[in-house]
Amino acid sequence: MDAMSLPDADAVIARARLGDPVALEALYRAYSTPVYNLSRRICRTTEDAEDILQETFFEVCRSIRNYRGDGSIWGWIRSVASSKALMRLRRNKYRDTDELNDEIAPARGASTALRMDLESAMDRLTDTARAVVWLHDVEGYTHEEIANQMGKTVSFSKSQLARAHTRLRNYLGEEALA
Amino acid sequence: MTAHLSMDQLIALRDDDRSEPGMGEALQHFAACIHCQSELEQLHQRTARLRALPSLAPSTNEFPAVHARVTVARQRRSRAAASLGLAIAATAVFTLITRDLVHPKRLDAEQLLQSEITQSQQLEHKLTAWNSDQRVINGRTAILVIQLENKIAQLDAEIAESAKMEQQAARVENEIKLWQQRVGLMNALVDVHLSKAGNVGL
Ligand SMILES: [Zn+2]
Repeated sequence: MDAMSLPDADAVIARARLGDPVALEALYRAYSTPVYNLSRRICRTTEDAEDILQETFFEVCRSIRNYRGDGSIWGWIRSVASSKALMRLRRNKYRDTDELNDEIAPARGASTALRMDLESAMDRLTDTARAVVWLHDVEGYTHEEIANQMGKTVSFSKSQLARAHTRLRNYLGEEALA
Repeated sequence: MTAHLSMDQLIALRDDDRSEPGMGEALQHFAACIHCQSELEQLHQRTARLRALPSLAPSTNEFPAVHARVTVARQRRSRAAASLGLAIAATAVFTLITRDLVHPKRLDAEQLLQSEITQSQQLEHKLTAWNSDQRVINGRTAILVIQLENKIAQLDAEIAESAKMEQQAARVENEIKLWQQRVGLMNALVDVHLSKAGNVGL
């Protein structure tokens, strides 16, 4: 992603470190969509995702001097974004039990009319399960990294991932092929 | 035949995670069970579908607000130091005045100036305590905040300039006017941050 969205990344980063607003804006342009997408997929609402986008780049502008360049710039920005998104989930904390979600899930073997599309199914997961499945299966974070960011254990992250897939499987009305 | 694989075991199989307990037995079962093989295939497909979800793009440009907040944070840091200096400079005038013949009119002016400075400092503390540069703002607020911060910076420059005035009484008079304006701007800034942007009338 780096080379594609930010040509001459090293020079831009060097200028951004000095607080050059043009360079900072170039970073914003290159990475605002993936940051927004990650936030929106984890937090579900556009309002939250826009706030996280702003929070992330505010932090990026303030802390880019501390970015040592030992990982990719996207890896660093993404870690800022995911920690802001998880912080937002903790703050909202309005839906982290899934008893309710189970009730509205179609029963196994329900007719295809009741099957949900993948996005609606993701929306119905608990906040934690949705965050874990997104960070692990799409963004490619390890369970150790997720556990670290969430302040939980590796087995917590693993069990949330399994829970997410079990729920998604049911919501999507998937049946074993055999 | 042993039980079908749990979701944890299917995921461990997908991710080649050897740390999941009981995988030896699970693998033996898996090799002979079409149901579990089909479940793993579905898991693979579901994962691929997740990765293929369209990338969502923001509909607003948050950069102006980000830039405003960064600028404000920087200005506020330097102002915190500078305004203390300004207040000390102003207080130094009082010492000079009181060393002169104590003139009742001058004493009034001195008190007035002191009270404006105190008010301004209290508002500054309020903004800092509320952490106003750490909060998410919208584009309109960003513009207002920048305008107010710039005006305050301008005033601070004028206050610093005023300290060079020769005539003490005129200097106090001038500084009262400037500090009063500063209090007004600080109040407006507090209002903006408390989401009363509509009342600010800039
Ligand atoms: Zn089986």
